[in-house]
Amino acid sequence: MMNLSQIGIRSFLSGLLLLLASLCVSSCAGIQTSINPAGPQADQISRLWWLMFSVCTGVFVLVMIFTLLAIKRGHGYSQEPTRAPDLDPALSAEQRKRNVVIGAIIVTTLILFVFLIASFKVGRSMTSELANKNGLTIEITGHQWWWEVRYMDPSASNVFTTANEIHIPTGVPVTFSLRANDVIHSFWVPNLSGKKDLIPGKIATIWLQADRPGVYRGQCAEYCGLQHAHMALWIVAEPQEQFDSWRQNQTRTAIQAVTSSEQRGQQVFLSSTCVMCHAVNGTPAGSNFGPNLTHIASRSMIAAATLPNTRDHLVQWVTDSQAIKPGNKMPQNNLSAEDLNALLDYLGSLK
Amino acid sequence: MKQQSKHIKQATVELSTAQLAREKAELERTWARPRGVIGWLTDTDHKGIALRYVVTAFVFFLFGGLEAALMRIQLARAENHFLSPDLYNQVFTVHGTTMMFLFAVPIMTALGIYLVPLMVGSRDVAFPRLNAYGYFVYLTGGILLYTSFFLNIGPDAGWFAYVPLAGPAYSPGKRVDIWAQMITFTEISALCGAIVVIGTVFKMRAPGMSLHRIPLFVWAQLVTSFMIIFAMPAVMLASSFLASDRLIDTHFFNPAEGGDAILYQHMFWFFGHPEVYIIFIPALGFVSSIVITFSRRKIFGYTAMVLALIATGFLGFGLWVHHMFATPLPQMGQGFFTAASMMIAIPSGVQIFCWIATLWGGKLSFKTPLLFVLGFVAIFVLGGLTGVMLASVPLDLQIHDTFFVVAHLHYVLIGGAVFPLFGAFYFWFPKWTGRMLSERAGRWNFWLMFIGFNLVFFPMHQLGLKGMPRRVYTYLPETGWGSLNLLASIGAFILASGVVVFICNVIWARRVGEVAGDNPWSADTLEWSVASPPPNYNFHDLPTVNSRYPLWSRLENSPIVRGLSTVKRETLVTSVLDAQPELRFEIPGPSIWPVLLSIATAIAFIGGIFTPWAFLVGALAAFGVFAGWFFGDPNHENKTARNTGERSKTPLTNKELQPGEV
Amino acid sequence: MSARLVIDVSELPHHEFDTYDPVWWGNNFLLAIESSMFAILIATYFYLRQNFAQWPPPLGQLTSSLNPLPDPGYGTANTILLLLSFIPMILVDVSARRGYRAAAQRGLLVCLLCGLGAITLRAFEFSAVKFYWDSNAYGSIVWFMLGMHLLHLITLSCETLLLTVWSFAREFDMKHRVDMVALAVYWYWVVGMWIVLYAIIYFTPRVG
Repeated sequence: MMNLSQIGIRSFLSGLLLLLASLCVSSCAGIQTSINPAGPQADQISRLWWLMFSVCTGVFVLVMIFTLLAIKRGHGYSQEPTRAPDLDPALSAEQRKRNVVIGAIIVTTLILFVFLIASFKVGRSMTSELANKNGLTIEITGHQWWWEVRYMDPSASNVFTTANEIHIPTGVPVTFSLRANDVIHSFWVPNLSGKKDLIPGKIATIWLQADRPGVYRGQCAEYCGLQHAHMALWIVAEPQEQFDSWRQNQTRTAIQAVTSSEQRGQQVFLSSTCVMCHAVNGTPAGSNFGPNLTHIASRSMIAAATLPNTRDHLVQWVTDSQAIKPGNKMPQNNLSAEDLNALLDYLGSLK
Repeated sequence: MKQQSKHIKQATVELSTAQLAREKAELERTWARPRGVIGWLTDTDHKGIALRYVVTAFVFFLFGGLEAALMRIQLARAENHFLSPDLYNQVFTVHGTTMMFLFAVPIMTALGIYLVPLMVGSRDVAFPRLNAYGYFVYLTGGILLYTSFFLNIGPDAGWFAYVPLAGPAYSPGKRVDIWAQMITFTEISALCGAIVVIGTVFKMRAPGMSLHRIPLFVWAQLVTSFMIIFAMPAVMLASSFLASDRLIDTHFFNPAEGGDAILYQHMFWFFGHPEVYIIFIPALGFVSSIVITFSRRKIFGYTAMVLALIATGFLGFGLWVHHMFATPLPQMGQGFFTAASMMIAIPSGVQIFCWIATLWGGKLSFKTPLLFVLGFVAIFVLGGLTGVMLASVPLDLQIHDTFFVVAHLHYVLIGGAVFPLFGAFYFWFPKWTGRMLSERAGRWNFWLMFIGFNLVFFPMHQLGLKGMPRRVYTYLPETGWGSLNLLASIGAFILASGVVVFICNVIWARRVGEVAGDNPWSADTLEWSVASPPPNYNFHDLPTVNSRYPLWSRLENSPIVRGLSTVKRETLVTSVLDAQPELRFEIPGPSIWPVLLSIATAIAFIGGIFTPWAFLVGALAAFGVFAGWFFGDPNHENKTARNTGERSKTPLTNKELQPGEV
Repeated sequence: MSARLVIDVSELPHHEFDTYDPVWWGNNFLLAIESSMFAILIATYFYLRQNFAQWPPPLGQLTSSLNPLPDPGYGTANTILLLLSFIPMILVDVSARRGYRAAAQRGLLVCLLCGLGAITLRAFEFSAVKFYWDSNAYGSIVWFMLGMHLLHLITLSCETLLLTVWSFAREFDMKHRVDMVALAVYWYWVVGMWIVLYAIIYFTPRVG
């Protein structure tokens, strides 16, 4: 029986180590992964992670080896519990053990100091001072359950508002000013940096930088109610020129409806409940309760990065968004087939 | 002590069998426990109360486990529709609340309430009625939570109930109010338990059990109780503020009127982090007891262990901000909390090293309790190491509020508390019931739980690194989290099957388990010197101790205590530091007042959800109960003294050797 | 069982004052819980203060010239009353220890009156705070502090009442003399806590 359990422990621990090893290999991919860094901060943090991971693995393995050795040594004895207990172990052995234990404690303390210093170093390099070098400031407001994104600019005409999809130029730090109007949310794009909470009544600031172009997914990291699970965002990092032209387009008011279907769609939009919550710049629709739709067709996802922005998905979303994100604030819309079609034509034209 | 020592004499006496039998009969009568429903409501015996706590808390553990299973089914694949988001949010809130408040804290206190008086050599706890009250209040809180959950109005703002999400604007209805009042109930209960344990450890120890002879189990309970005293008021205030914001429109957490959402987090975590240690320090006590018994040698580094427990208790209050690193806080403060959070690894390390050193060169007896302790070492060390990672601010910002933290906290709490707890069940079950649990089933139990546990929670580390946030009811297929989640869900059912084996084992053992005898493990502490299960009065004659391991160092040579009444519920009160006899303290018998007081409490706090006037009614009822409590109990002290006189004391017959001071 | 070494405790008393009695410890640990509660309450008071440019906040746009500080009159009266109540309570404390029944009874009666007086004055203190609990966070925390202390005044008075009745109706036994000494400790604590709260509520807003 005892050998069985011993073998069991051993095989299990080796299984555990295998699992640990698999961890190193398999998590280095993905667009929402903290150890697949695409920016200087995430990079620093992931280095810190690998330092701590390898040291901690070593510590774990050592502790397990000593535990197993202790078990092995103790196994030579009979199982009967009636043997006289040992209240006076040999002094020399106890002193040897004492020295080992004290040594282990000293080593533990030293390791912790190394961690502490490494952690301070990384922390210092992440403070927001750096961000002031760059003019680009983006204000993020968390809502239940989407992200309002406002690009700030000294010139008021260049300020614009979008939602859930944030374009940034590569290679430069971007300041994010974070706030919330309802409950606490947390802004987190793992490939670029750690998270920061959006707290009603407070303003938090972080900066991010993407070193290479790409799409990075972020997700709300503070429980914020029913649809916390579907409150994601995309950061699209692109070269400066591309970013500039995107930005240029976003500052414009909405494209005029051209075709008759689009014009009818605009009428549907303006005469239905849509205008109660959504804004389309350049039309009378100006509510900020829901995402700004001025350039919705230029975004690749809808419903806070939940669904790809296709016509089918838009139809589902407009008619019955509750089936997709139960509890979200968008009401059901009963539109006739023609009206719906026209509305989608119109939305599809809002590049 | 100096004042009382003149009253104590040492002697050698002959005790005839007939005399002992008569005393025994008298003790049985004096300490008889009332029967029936009324008996259940009035009983104050610490063992009875503790076993109720154990059973109730274990039932809540099963509920919490079922909720966990529901969550694992829901998360087994992407975009699953097994639970609606509303139900999922209720389930994870109730799961967390149950496991923390209705299972972990009460069951740890319960083992203390059962074992501390026996380990220190007392007939009961210091305040048995307060103890009974604590149980009823706890039961009320649990019933309140589950009634609301089964009515589908369970709390859904998380076990932490952050404002403003839990505030009046974003959580209308009664859900969060129920959560807040349930917190109050369980905190009152925990505070009662803490006072009971401290009082017992301070004043009821057997003569000779000076501070350096207190078993490590008892030290752990003592440190925990002190932590409860300083941590729980914070969450009681936080939940009261929350309730009053919701019910009478105060503005503690409303930023529009000068309130502050972060204030809530400070208050909650000032309690919430020590809470982890409140759960896990008692488990360290179980581990020490088991390691000492099954390595059959004295503990290595007793003093270091005690100091480590106390250091953990202090440091535990300096870490709370590491739950809030992602909030906009000043940088400098964070440095302090990082350092403190890392330093707490040192006392934990000291204990792990000392246990290994004890096992090293011990003569191991490889029974199920020891197996659970070894499982604890493996899991807890891993959880502790990820804890060190979370203490680092930059790294925390990446893994905070992700599944990495879910993995970490379960490694610490299941590894650090539940594995030792199951070890403790196997270890003390014979003492509680007189029968042994099956070793064979115990091994199955252990391996299923150990393998299942690691399958559930190890992949979660990786999920966290891959960006999966906590408290999401579903996830998109594109995230690539599906396979690891499926693995975790499969593991959950292996873990659960381990618990099922345990339940079967208990049912089997209650009926046909091997009869245990007084001390089946040849363990060292005083609870093993009495029958299994112990008689109502615990000890026929209270023992005195002359060593840290009384049963291993010839207890029979140590004097016994004579002169306590056999017809009144008396026990010995000793001095705090060196445990010298001071008083013959009278323990109250069965009483209806604790349960009535808990009803008054329930009127105030459950009624308070609906109208503030309920507090007035509850307070008046409570005053009535107190008056009854104060005047209602017979003044048995004088009555019995008149009736029985000197005959009542276990007499000291003939042959006094040398009268004098002990 | 044959010859056993025993210690004989039959001559030990049943009750003794202070650290001897578990009741004394139980009482003090309850007070430790309440102390940490008040400590957190006070910390909350100063934490919330950081959110205000002016503390207490101005009484409103039109009345900003009015003084928003709480009137210290009733609070001061209450402080004096509670400080004076030390005298009868010390009398109770000492006579309980020495076994002077009549003196203890008189002391308890005076204390009971002091307690009722303090409760009455507290009712006026609430009106001296120029905000309601639902006006703003300042009002909430000050009402809460006054209210929690009021709760202790009420509990204290109830306990005094019970012991007073006991001392007249039943025996002046050791058990209840120990209770009276514990009551005195509680009384000193409640008064001491009030001095702290009084200084914080009425005077800290005037400085800084």
